[in-house]
Amino acid sequence: MPDEFIKNELEEHRPSTPPHFQTTRRDDLMYLQPRKNTVLVSHGRPPWYAEDGQRTSDAFVIGVAGGSASGKTHVARQIVHKLGSIPTVIILSQDSFYKYHNEEELALAHANLLDFDHPDAIDMPMFAACLADLKACKQSNIPVYSFAEHQRLEEKRYLYGATIIIAEGIMALHDSALRSLYDLKVFVQCDSDLMLARRIKRDVKERARNVEGILDQYLRYVKPSYDNFVRPSSSHADIIVPGSNNEVAIELICTHIRQQLQERSNCMRQRMAIPHRYLRSKSGTSSPESRLEDLNLAVLPKTPQLEGIFTILRSKETSRQDFIFFVDRLSTILVENALQHLPYVPKTVVTPVGVESHGMKIDADLICGVTIMRSGGALERGFKRVINDVPLGSLLIQSDSKTGEPMLLQVMLPAYVRLRHLAKNAWVFLLDAQIGTGAAAFMAIRILLDHGVRENHIVFVTFIVARGGGISVLRRAFPEVKVLCGAVDDRVREGWLEGYRGEGNPEGQGRQVWIMQPGMGQIGDRYYI
Amino acid sequence: MSIPLPPPQPANQSNFNRHHLNPLPPSVFTLPQTAQLEALYTIIRDKETKRGDFLFYSDRIIRLLVEEGLNHLPVVKRTVETPTGATYDGVGFEGKICGVSILRAGEAMEAGLREVCRSVRIGKILIQRDEETALPKLFYSKFPQDIATRYVLLLDPMLATGGSAMKAVEVLIEHGVPEERIIFVNLIASPEGLTTFCTRYPSLKVVTGWIDQGLNDKAYIIPGLGDFGERR
Repeated sequence: MPDEFIKNELEEHRPSTPPHFQTTRRDDLMYLQPRKNTVLVSHGRPPWYAEDGQRTSDAFVIGVAGGSASGKTHVARQIVHKLGSIPTVIILSQDSFYKYHNEEELALAHANLLDFDHPDAIDMPMFAACLADLKACKQSNIPVYSFAEHQRLEEKRYLYGATIIIAEGIMALHDSALRSLYDLKVFVQCDSDLMLARRIKRDVKERARNVEGILDQYLRYVKPSYDNFVRPSSSHADIIVPGSNNEVAIELICTHIRQQLQERSNCMRQRMAIPHRYLRSKSGTSSPESRLEDLNLAVLPKTPQLEGIFTILRSKETSRQDFIFFVDRLSTILVENALQHLPYVPKTVVTPVGVESHGMKIDADLICGVTIMRSGGALERGFKRVINDVPLGSLLIQSDSKTGEPMLLQVMLPAYVRLRHLAKNAWVFLLDAQIGTGAAAFMAIRILLDHGVRENHIVFVTFIVARGGGISVLRRAFPEVKVLCGAVDDRVREGWLEGYRGEGNPEGQGRQVWIMQPGMGQIGDRYYI
Repeated sequence: MSIPLPPPQPANQSNFNRHHLNPLPPSVFTLPQTAQLEALYTIIRDKETKRGDFLFYSDRIIRLLVEEGLNHLPVVKRTVETPTGATYDGVGFEGKICGVSILRAGEAMEAGLREVCRSVRIGKILIQRDEETALPKLFYSKFPQDIATRYVLLLDPMLATGGSAMKAVEVLIEHGVPEERIIFVNLIASPEGLTTFCTRYPSLKVVTGWIDQGLNDKAYIIPGLGDFGERR
């Protein structure tokens, strides 16, 4: 699986060399660009936080330095490859952090007279800041550098959610601020002759350049830079890897990473699912089953119509057509109710009769919705009936087919959340069909907080909450999140799912599952399939 | 351990329904007077609001009104089995319903009704002021044949003097619908109209979203929202 994936990422998306290239060595970077700054996902990201809602560990950061054409990218790829079933990996390239050029520098760059191999060419503080954010599991919006224009572009590239980050570049070990962020420092050692030979071969073959030009540039910039900055930085490395025939070194690195990740992993779903049985209070006693009034939930008023709707939705006899209709109706009521949790301020308008009316308006500009796929999608139609002009994002969180732990597979968040300076003022409605074990809800809230959304600006909207389930853990971890539900169910029952053949589980081994009682069944299946 | 959720923000004191009509007649039910509902009304009252927004936000209020109106219908106990094998003691809806819209503004509430009650039957009734007598006069009506056996949601967005609404009820009663099986669903009511209406039909339930200050000399609701039908 990872093999295939990497192949897709790295081979098929490789663009053909543009016909108009007239620049010098920058082209090899342009050609490498699509391989870098990508988030590689193989089987999702397991929880990176504990039951108290706090992050348990940073991302594991590897710095890979080495001369130009020494094989850094190859080493990074080999690490990803050898790790096998990898969690989420980001390869962050130094190339993104070339400084913004003024007119004068731009002219020099186009004349191939700007030294891109000097450490000063790189915006080290920004590189370190972005890496620090990613290491702390926050989002980062990294600059995009165009080698065709020799300029940093206006756009930014959003990155989030890696368990492993590989930062690579010739100067990756040069800067002390960067070095302090690495958990593992790797230097790719390669013979100068070999690097030059590779360089000539590559540039002649792939770029139709002449040997003289290549040598000129090599002697003017590349070689002095290597001798003065790159090679000396190897003294900071934890491990020096040969640029070729390096299988043993890569294996050593991977063993180390696996061990580190093992120590950091945290399986919590089972303990969360039935907290009064598995989670101990601080004094060591088993915590009592939570009472409804302690959970601080906003529950819809129990009207006859609401009761009737729930009866239809809970019945196994209900047709799919009816199920969809009443789910849409219920979610409309829920979202109308959820809007009460926004702030309001007075507003005066003039009516067509010519009279002033003193009313209210919503006092929040950045409102958005995020659905937890798949079953949260059942609330989307209701959401759109009530709020028609706000962005709606999604998170794909699925249970791992072997452990049952939640796995983050995809993050598609609205711009209000992606950009940190907006996220702190954003109001987010999180939509999911139910909170049973609470594992997906927990992960989704953690993701929003990682992005800088305020805890009391999150309104979680859901059909049912299981009183005896993970909700009490969720409440303790995130007391300020507002949780609005249509009904409260009693408990979560442990069950065993037999022979479910899913991705990563070709043998169809059974696994533990948790079922809401009385519940509505598999809401996602009943709504979509 | 956990901080109790703050209650949702209430509407402005001076706007509360009871501010304009106190006490409310016992047959009148209003939507919860929250800041959120008031914000919806503020949008549709604003004369600067464009038609698209007027449609969207008035539809939202209509849906809330219909949901509230349906809560006055009876339900019966019903036990079901869930897909997880548990039994659930719930309720089932009882009794057939139909909508009757008072033309032309009432028609605007039909879409909202159908969103909540799928494929519900809808009757229509046209009442206009008689030029000679200056009294409301029935011009046209078309109802489902079995209307006498149904609960009727009578739809009219604005209740000003109450003249046409009372005429419509009169017509429904003539068709055999008992007064207590009619629920009048309304966006904005004037205190005067509401008092007259409820005095004449005390057992007919009225679900209204907002009770306004009163009527001006042209019998327009103040502050109101202008001509509802015109703005849709």
